[in-house]
Amino acid sequence: MNYTFDLGAVTRNFDVLLQGLSLTLQLTIAANIVGLILGFLLALMLVSRFALVRGPATAFVEFFRCTPALIQIVWFFYCVPMLFNVFIGSITMAVLALGLNLAAFNAEAYRAAIQAVPREHEDAGIALGLSPLQRVLYIILPSAIRASVPVLLTNGIGILQQSALVSIVAVPDLMYEAKTLATETYRPIETFTIVALMYFAISLPVSQLVGWLERRRPA
Amino acid sequence: MGNTMTVAPAQGDGSALLCVKGLRMGYGPVEVLKGMDIEMKPGERVVLIGPSGSGKSTLLRVMMGLEQIQHGQITFGGDPYITADKGKTKIDIGVRKKIGMVFQHYTLFPHLSVLGNLILAPCKVAGESRSSASERARALLERLGLSHRVDAYPAQLSGGQKQRVAIARALMLDPKLMLFDEVTSALDPELVAEVEQVILQLAAQNMPMMIVTHDMWFAKNIASRVIFAAEGRIIEDGPPEQVLGNPREERTREFLERVFHIKT
Repeated sequence: MNYTFDLGAVTRNFDVLLQGLSLTLQLTIAANIVGLILGFLLALMLVSRFALVRGPATAFVEFFRCTPALIQIVWFFYCVPMLFNVFIGSITMAVLALGLNLAAFNAEAYRAAIQAVPREHEDAGIALGLSPLQRVLYIILPSAIRASVPVLLTNGIGILQQSALVSIVAVPDLMYEAKTLATETYRPIETFTIVALMYFAISLPVSQLVGWLERRRPA
Repeated sequence: MGNTMTVAPAQGDGSALLCVKGLRMGYGPVEVLKGMDIEMKPGERVVLIGPSGSGKSTLLRVMMGLEQIQHGQITFGGDPYITADKGKTKIDIGVRKKIGMVFQHYTLFPHLSVLGNLILAPCKVAGESRSSASERARALLERLGLSHRVDAYPAQLSGGQKQRVAIARALMLDPKLMLFDEVTSALDPELVAEVEQVILQLAAQNMPMMIVTHDMWFAKNIASRVIFAAEGRIIEDGPPEQVLGNPREERTREFLERVFHIKT
């Protein structure tokens, strides 16, 4: 190998990458807000006694879990405007596509945690005279949400990586800026190495946090 | 908890505190309780023993309103509170709230501290103020030797401490009858005594109770009356000296020999 690494092209244009990174982080945060809230509502539907309530939520979750995120994004950007004649800004569209995808996975995390609350907690709640609504609000949900935090965080950093996919529909995120820079400078190896390290540097603390939370979580 | 030596029945006529009549319950075709009648007087401490599948735990769960019944009625202090009516179980929550229960395990809410567990129901159900409930909780924990664990979370407690806190949580609602469903069965042997000690303390204060246990020493020491049940029916019912010491029924004798290696 006689390739010489030249980071100059990247360091000179680092501000462009930082702009991309800023958008990537904004997309991730916005998608997580959508995913955490919508996912929670979906999970409540998933554990409903009524098939009519469960059905739509199950369909939503399965659609987003069983198709590639890349296709979901392309579909959102090209098919939704044509089929439904709605034109939304590309950033909003990206947030929606990523957020809905995350909501499906988060819904499953919440649902699993809700169903993992021991039946005995419900019994203890009844024995203490709590009403069904009080049992849900004060016993089941608080304990389930706490239990689902590690998975929610894992899904959350997952969406940081997934957000790179929106670069193919010309949303100027970190990946998009990286591709442009690589093409302009003929330095793809240096550019993508640096960009990979940037994604890594942001994700690592979060995944460490997940590990720490799981270790200290009571059995 | 009152400090008086007698526990007045809710209706004051000196009759039964709790009355189970013609109780039948099952899951689908499987009948678990095949007609049970029990009358419990104020101040009695009834220990239920019997082989697994005898329905003793189910009986406590029914009395707590945790199961649907097919037939029968349960009265507390003269008020019917669980009634089978055309296949549906009607529960009078107001009456049922006078009964407290402690379960075998998973009893404490893991996201709440010891104090949080104790004051949840008083604050949310009885509408007591946070400060007044906390004050009562601290006093109660002090009496049970748990004042150093007020702010601990369930995961930080030993099994014995968890069960003592669970008992304290039930006592916060000032029950007139306590049900204990195998509360020491999930504990390591060396932790059993501290929990039984708390229940014995309650007994000394004349708290009426119904206890399902496999611990013979405990049964003998706490019971004022022992009921032996098998296959959903009551086989023998009498003072502990009789049922545990000199049973009249052959099935009771067999059970004691087999399970507790007691030759009677």
